[in-house]
Amino acid sequence: MNEETTPPNGAPGPTRRTVLVTAGAAAATVALARPSIVRAASEKSVKIGFIEDQSGNLSIYGIQKLHAAQLAVQEINDGYTLAGGPVGMGVLGSYGLYAPNPPTLTTSGGTLNVVSDGGTPSNKAVVTSDTDEILVSSGEKGLLGQPLQLISADGQSNNILWQQLARRMIQQDRVDVLFAGFASAEREAIRPIVDQHKQLYFYTNQYEGGVADSYTFCTGAVPEQQVIPVMQYMVEKFGPKIFTIAANYNFGQLTAAWVRSFAPVLKAQVIAEEFPPLDVSEFSSVIARVQAAKPDWVMTLLVGQNQSNYYPQAAAAGLHLPMASTINMAQGYEHKRFKPPSLANMHNAVNYMQEIPTKRNQDFVQRFYKMFPNDPYLGQMAQNTYFSIHLYAKAARLAGTTDQETVRKTLEAGWSIEAPEGTVFLEPGTHHASHYIRLAVANEQQQISFARDWSSIAPWWLQRLGVNLVRTPEHKQYTPAEDPFFKMFAPA
Amino acid sequence: MSVKMAAPILRSCLGRALAGPHDIGRTKPAWLAMALVAISFLSYPAIASSFSATNVAYYLLNIPMAFGLSLLWGYGGVLSFGQVAFFAVSGYVYGIVSGNFPDATWATWAGSLAGLAAAAALAAALGYFIFYARVAAWIVPILTLVLALLLNTFLGLTAGAQWTIGQVALGGYNGMTGIPAFQIGSFVFQDYAFYYLVLGVVLVSFVGLRAFVNSHRGQVLMAIREDVIRTELLGYDVRLEQLFVFVLAAVLSGISGLLYVQWGNYITPSVTSLQQAALPVIWVAVAGRDSLLAVAIVTFLLNQLSYILSSAGNQYALVIIGVFLVAVMLFAPEGIVLRLVRLAQRFRIRKTEVA
Amino acid sequence: MADTISILYQFGTNASFLLLCALGLIVILGMMNIINLAHGEFMMLGAYTASAAVHQGIPLPLAVLLAAAAVGLFGVILERLIVQHFYGRELGALVVTWGISLILAQGALLAFGPFMPPIAIPGGSISVGVYSFSIYWLFLIVFCVVLLAGLAWVYRATNFGLEARAAMQNPAMARALGIRVNRIYMITFGIGSALAGLSGALLAPTTSIAPFMGQQFVAPAFITVVVGGGASVIGGAVGSSALLSLVETPVSFLLGSFWGSVALLVTALVVIRILPGGVSSLGRRLLPRLAR
Repeated sequence: MNEETTPPNGAPGPTRRTVLVTAGAAAATVALARPSIVRAASEKSVKIGFIEDQSGNLSIYGIQKLHAAQLAVQEINDGYTLAGGPVGMGVLGSYGLYAPNPPTLTTSGGTLNVVSDGGTPSNKAVVTSDTDEILVSSGEKGLLGQPLQLISADGQSNNILWQQLARRMIQQDRVDVLFAGFASAEREAIRPIVDQHKQLYFYTNQYEGGVADSYTFCTGAVPEQQVIPVMQYMVEKFGPKIFTIAANYNFGQLTAAWVRSFAPVLKAQVIAEEFPPLDVSEFSSVIARVQAAKPDWVMTLLVGQNQSNYYPQAAAAGLHLPMASTINMAQGYEHKRFKPPSLANMHNAVNYMQEIPTKRNQDFVQRFYKMFPNDPYLGQMAQNTYFSIHLYAKAARLAGTTDQETVRKTLEAGWSIEAPEGTVFLEPGTHHASHYIRLAVANEQQQISFARDWSSIAPWWLQRLGVNLVRTPEHKQYTPAEDPFFKMFAPA
Repeated sequence: MSVKMAAPILRSCLGRALAGPHDIGRTKPAWLAMALVAISFLSYPAIASSFSATNVAYYLLNIPMAFGLSLLWGYGGVLSFGQVAFFAVSGYVYGIVSGNFPDATWATWAGSLAGLAAAAALAAALGYFIFYARVAAWIVPILTLVLALLLNTFLGLTAGAQWTIGQVALGGYNGMTGIPAFQIGSFVFQDYAFYYLVLGVVLVSFVGLRAFVNSHRGQVLMAIREDVIRTELLGYDVRLEQLFVFVLAAVLSGISGLLYVQWGNYITPSVTSLQQAALPVIWVAVAGRDSLLAVAIVTFLLNQLSYILSSAGNQYALVIIGVFLVAVMLFAPEGIVLRLVRLAQRFRIRKTEVA
Repeated sequence: MADTISILYQFGTNASFLLLCALGLIVILGMMNIINLAHGEFMMLGAYTASAAVHQGIPLPLAVLLAAAAVGLFGVILERLIVQHFYGRELGALVVTWGISLILAQGALLAFGPFMPPIAIPGGSISVGVYSFSIYWLFLIVFCVVLLAGLAWVYRATNFGLEARAAMQNPAMARALGIRVNRIYMITFGIGSALAGLSGALLAPTTSIAPFMGQQFVAPAFITVVVGGGASVIGGAVGSSALLSLVETPVSFLLGSFWGSVALLVTALVVIRILPGGVSSLGRRLLPRLAR
C-alpha cells in the first residue's frame, strides 16, 4: 500500500545543512507571519470597511452590493447626498399619484433609454414624500473635509475568512464604519468581533429579524414588513389554504414560523409544511406532496441556487398554483435568470426592485447603469447599501466627527432619508428601518408590476419585545420562540 | 548546548523515543533548529500586535487535526475525508456545555472534556462499522466524506427554536455564537494568552505523538499499513488497532475544534462542508503524510498562504492550492518537505563523493 | 390508483437520478478500481457545454451528445496526463482527482461567472388524477433503461467489451494474452467521463447551472457506488440504485428529504457491513449457484 520509499531503520537522517536550510525557511516564515501587505495609510480619509462575497456561491449578491457602495462613495466624494435629516417621530405624508405599470427600459451602446413612462398615472396612494429629486448637494466634497475611501475585501463565501477579514478591517485597517454581510451566517460570524471591539456596523440585507445589538444597524426589510403584507394579499385574492415550502435553514424555518403564527389572524390556515435541506435539488417528492394537499396558494421560502430549481421543475410538472415569497426576484433576480413560465404568478412584498416606476427610482437606476453598464440586475440589498452609506455620511456630517461612539449616538436620533424606494426611517430604539413596501407580481412572461403598496411599515416586532437599545444595550438575536404571541393563536 | 550536555538527555528513554526512526529531524542540528523555531514562536508576541498573534494562532490551531490525519493515513494507511466532522462535533458540544453554565469557572473544562468525548464516541461508532466490516480501502474516504456532508446538512437544519439545548441554541446555518473562551479559574485565555495556549497544545501534541509513533504501538500501526494479513498472522488484532487510531485521530481533530471555537467564539455547519473537508487532506498530502514534522510545517504555511492570498483579494487561492496538490501528487508523491530533504541529502552525498 | 402511479413515478425518478449520478463513476471504478472525485465537476462541465450549445441555437438532443463527447475527450486527456500514473495507487488517485475537482470548480467560477443561462425543461406534463408528471422525467427514466441496455450490449457483445472484462478480471493475464490494457483503461476513463458529461447535460434543465453544481450530485453518486461495489458494472448500478431508491422514496415521502438522505447513508453502512463487496458481489455469489 505504501508506494513511496521510506529510509530503512538506522539510515542517516537529513544532514545538518539540510535541516538548517529548512529551519532558516521556518524562521523566515515566522517573520512573514506578520502580514506583509503594506496599506497606503499616508492619505487621510474616512475609511468605509466593506466585506462581501465577490467570488463563490453568493457572488451574484455581493457584486451588486459592491457596485452600489462604489456609486454611493463616488456621489459623496462628488459633493452629493440624499435628501433627509434627523427627525424625532414619524414623517409627514402627502397625497400623490404614480403610474401603475413599470416603464420599459432598453440599453443600447451603454446608455439607458426610458421607452415609455408606464402609462397615465392613475393609482392614488399616500406617499410620504413625492419629491423626484432626491440627490441633492451636500455642500462639501467628501465627508468632513476628507475623501471617502472604500476598503473592500472578498469573503469568498468562507466563514473563517470572514472572521479573519473582519478582524483585519477593525484592528489593522481601523475602519470608521463597517458594511458587511449578505447571509445571516456571515453577519453572526462577525458580530462577536464587532461587539468585542465596539465597531459601528451596518447590516444592509433583508433577513429573518430579531438582531438587537447596540453596535449594529440593520437597514434591510424584516418579516413583519414582508410576510404579513404578502399573506394578506394572497389570502384575499386566492384563498385561505396555504402550503409552505421553506428552506431547512434559519431564514426558512423562522419565516415559516411567522407564516404559521399569522395565518389564524388572517383567517387562513397552513395545511402543510415542507422543509427541504439546502443541498436538495430534486423536488419530485415535494411536488407530489403539494399536489396531494391541494392548497390555494404556495408560500415558497427557498434559498440558494439548488433550491431555486424547484420553480422550473414545478412548472414542468404542470404545477401552476399561485406562489408567494419574501425573497425571490428582488434579490437573486430569478425572473430574469429562469425561463418563463417558471416564475409566473409569483408574488413578493418587496421594499425595492429595479422595476419600481417612480421617477426618483428610475433616475437612480440610470445612474447605476451608467457607472456599471454590464451588471445584470440591481436588487434590494444593493439599494439598501446605497442609502445606508449616504445615511452614515449624513450622520457623521451632523456629528462633526467620525468617532464611532459619537456617530452611533447621532444615528440614534432617528433619521429619515429619501431612498430610491421611498422615504426610509431609521428607528432609534431598534436600530432597524421602516420601509416602503410594494407587492410585486410576475405575469406569464415574468414581467413585474406592482399591485398594491404600503407607504411605510415600521419594524414593530422588536418594539413589541421591548427592545430599546438607546436605554438598554444588548447584543443578541431574538427568535420567534421568545415571543409569546407566536403561540397565542396556534390551532389547538 | 554542547554535545556533552546533550548526550545524557538524548540517551534517556524519552529522548530515544523522540529520536526514533519514524519521523524526520533526528540529528542534533535538527533539534537545534527546532528549538530555534520554538523560541522564535514563543517570543513572537513581543514584536507582534494582538491581531497578528491571533492570526498566527489560527494557522497553528489546525495542526493537531493535521497530526491526526497524518497518523491515520500516513502511519496507518487509512484515508479519511471526514476529520472535519469530529472538529465540528467537539466544537458544538463545547459550545453547548460551556454555554449552559456561563457563570461557573469549571464550565469550559467540562465543555472541553465533553467535546472530546463526543468526538471519540462518534468515531468509535463509525469506526466499528468500517473496520469490523473489513471494507476495501477506497470505501473509507467515501463514507467519511458522506458523514461529514450529512453532519453539515443536519447541523444546518437546527435553526428552529426546538433545537435549543438548555440555554444554548444550535442556530442552524446562522451558527452558534457567543461561545465562551477557555478559562482556568478566573483567568480567561484571550489574545496573547490564547496564542500561548495554542502554541502549548501544538508543542505538547507534537512531542507526545512523536513518542507514540516511535513506540511499539506505532510500529504495529505501520506494519498494518504495509501488510494487513501479515500483521494479523503475527497475532495483532488489526481491527482494534485501526479503531484505536481512528478514535485518536478524531480526538486530535476535536482538539483543533475546541481551539477554533475559542478563537472565534463562533461555529457554523460550514466547518464540515465539502471544501473544508478537503483541506486536512491537502495539507497532509502536500507535506508528506508519514512525517509529523513535515505536516506541522506545511499546515502552518498553507494556512498562512491561504490567508495572505485571500486577504489581498486574490480569488485564485483555491485554484492555486488545487494545482499545488496535483503537482505534488504527480512529482513528489512522498510530500514536498520529504522530497526537498532527500534532494538535498542526495546533493550532499554527491558532493562528498566527488570530493 | 393515482397514488400508486405517483409513488412509482417518484421511485422511478429517484432511481434514475441516482443512476445518472453514479454511472460514470461505476464504470471507472469497476475497471480501474479508482474513484474519480472530480466526477461532480465532470457533470458540471457537461451541463456547461450543453448550456453553451443550446444558447448557440443547437437543439437540446444534439447539445447533450456534444456535451458527452466533449467531456469524454477531456477525460481522455486528463487520463493520459495525470490519472494514468495512479493505477494501483487508489488513495493517491482519490487525492489527485480531488485536486482536479477543486481546480475545475473554482476555475469555472472564475472563467464563466457565478452561473450559466438556464435550459428550459422540454416537454410539458401529463396529469393522472390530482397528480401531474413531467414528461421530461418520464423520458429520463426510459432513457436510463436504454442506456443500461446499451452498456450491457457493449460489454457483452463487442470485442472491446470482451477485452475490457478480461482486463477487469486479471490485467496481468490479459496483458500476457496481447490485450493492450493501458489502451482499455484510457477508453474506459473516456467512457466514464462521457457518461458523466451526458448525465450532467441531461440533468441540466432540472437544475441551476453553476460552478459548484457538482456538489449536489457527489453524495448520492458516492453512496450509490459504495453500495453497488465494483464487481459488476451493470449489476452494481442497477442493484444499488434500485435498493437505495426503494429505501429513500418512502422515507422522503413520509418524513421529508433530509431523512431520505439519512436513510441513504444508513443503508450504505448496513450494506457494507453485511456485503463488503457491495450489491454487485451478491450477483457473483449467486450466479455460480444458479448455474448449477
